[in-house]
Amino acid sequence: MKTVLVIGGGVTGLKASSELAEMGYNVTLVEKEDYLGGQVAKHKYYKLAPDLRLAGEVIDPVIKAVENNSNIKVYKHSHVAAVSGNAPEFKAKIKNSKGESEENFGAIVVATGFEHFDPTVKQEYGYGRFKDVVTNAEVEEMLNPGGPTNGELKRPSDGETPKKIAIFQCVGSRDRQVGNPYCCRVGCVVSTKQAIEIKEKYPDSEVYVYYMDMRMFGRGWEELYGKAMEEYEIIFTRGRGAEVTLKNQQLSLRAEETIMDRPIQHSVDMIILAAGMAAGEGTIEAANVLGIKQNDYGFLEPKDDFVSPNESSKPGIFIAGADKGPMDIENCIVEGAAVAAKVASSLKN
Amino acid sequence: MAENTDKMVIDGVELTGIWKEFLPSRILYEDVTTEFLDEVKKLPGGSTIVRCYQCGTCSGGCTLPDFVDKFNPRRFIDLVRRGHYDILVNENKDLVWKCVSCQRCTHRCPRGVNTQEVVRAIAKFLEDRKVFGKLTNDEAFDEIFMEEVIEDGRIDEVKIVKDFYSKTGRLKEMMSSDQIALGFKMLTSGRIKLFGGKIKDWKKVSQRLKEELQ
Repeated sequence: MKTVLVIGGGVTGLKASSELAEMGYNVTLVEKEDYLGGQVAKHKYYKLAPDLRLAGEVIDPVIKAVENNSNIKVYKHSHVAAVSGNAPEFKAKIKNSKGESEENFGAIVVATGFEHFDPTVKQEYGYGRFKDVVTNAEVEEMLNPGGPTNGELKRPSDGETPKKIAIFQCVGSRDRQVGNPYCCRVGCVVSTKQAIEIKEKYPDSEVYVYYMDMRMFGRGWEELYGKAMEEYEIIFTRGRGAEVTLKNQQLSLRAEETIMDRPIQHSVDMIILAAGMAAGEGTIEAANVLGIKQNDYGFLEPKDDFVSPNESSKPGIFIAGADKGPMDIENCIVEGAAVAAKVASSLKN
Repeated sequence: MAENTDKMVIDGVELTGIWKEFLPSRILYEDVTTEFLDEVKKLPGGSTIVRCYQCGTCSGGCTLPDFVDKFNPRRFIDLVRRGHYDILVNENKDLVWKCVSCQRCTHRCPRGVNTQEVVRAIAKFLEDRKVFGKLTNDEAFDEIFMEEVIEDGRIDEVKIVKDFYSKTGRLKEMMSSDQIALGFKMLTSGRIKLFGGKIKDWKKVSQRLKEELQ
């Protein structure tokens, strides 16, 4: 029986590994961090949109399925340094602090995922300059009871609970200025979800969302959007955040209320940047090591987006999940299962 | 009753009492034209107008609204694209010129619209249609300044002052005693010369410039 190499221990990689192992294949899972769960674990995602169920409910069973399966060998804190050979005979060098080993594989699954966009480059938003300008990933960590603030939303500058909160949509996505003209596909629903969570926890607070379009295309997303407006009185303003300044020691944002045709200056206590998705370092590294094709934004390019969405430009190397482009957790799990099926059928031939 | 309505107009006065006859229509347009968009697109700097997705980053961060009420690049673009020529002329023709070219909008635009140039192009488009009436002082000065540079390649202070006053119809003001005294002082101290120097062979350059600016 051939062994399959899975690169990346995020949602997609975990699902692909456990599905392949259940089909009887031996799997070697290589993860660069010392924990499994990818971005979900890294940023301590608390609740998932649109059902507001705990992220742990979804991710923990997938992690357990991998850890409890004897067919899966997990290398944490490791990376794939070199790969040689062609399908179905690959030789991969796996490196970690203890040394390196070379193993043979029949197929390779790349599930290296994404990284949150770093908003430092959007200088006008003052991320890194103003302490109270935070990213949505940081808010996720804060809202998690296991996080740094024990589940309380606190201003990083003084530890107070903010009263007026503004959320900027599309930071680092739909933006040619930073080279990411694509939609991040999750920012809208994540911000709506976070706004609801904040309002639920602090009913006195006011949450304002500055958006260009609310793209609520997923299951139950549009309903969540309606709920945010009707039940939680979250104010959605059509206008992209233009800049953040400090006025009388308070954060002040500027935007245009495009429906009124007038610019506005709005003083708030905290600004959350809905940072989009960018191709992760792991994805770029994997593409270099394996020599597979990337698109203009660093994401991996399938052989054919419609016909063979999980095959890379090289035979025997498969791609899945958010390394192909922005994707939500629900679809990453689907991708993980899909790529497992594809690998199994290719190894049979 | 409806079929008889046309008989209810006597001497141009409506007598039927249908409400809509008393109220001005709220319908903005029945026909849209992209004629103006096409025109602005072809002007220098106007081509990126098509990229705009109306997010408001430009007008949100614009330097001007603190000083010039209602200056709004996003709206100018919107009006041109939708063909609202009347609104553009009636409400915005004096605004589009006020841009100070700080380029904040251009640097921030997430779609790569060269907003400052587009606003200039819209101003040029309006100028070409001759919607501006009498020139203001600074516009007149700008025009004379440019003419002089193209014609002579340099600025002759006496000539430019004379042309400026005559263009704005204030020659009398120029001949007032304090102005003449000031002019004399400047002349004797060497600040201005009665006949500015000439640039050799400027005619050729001038001709080329005129061709280029056609």
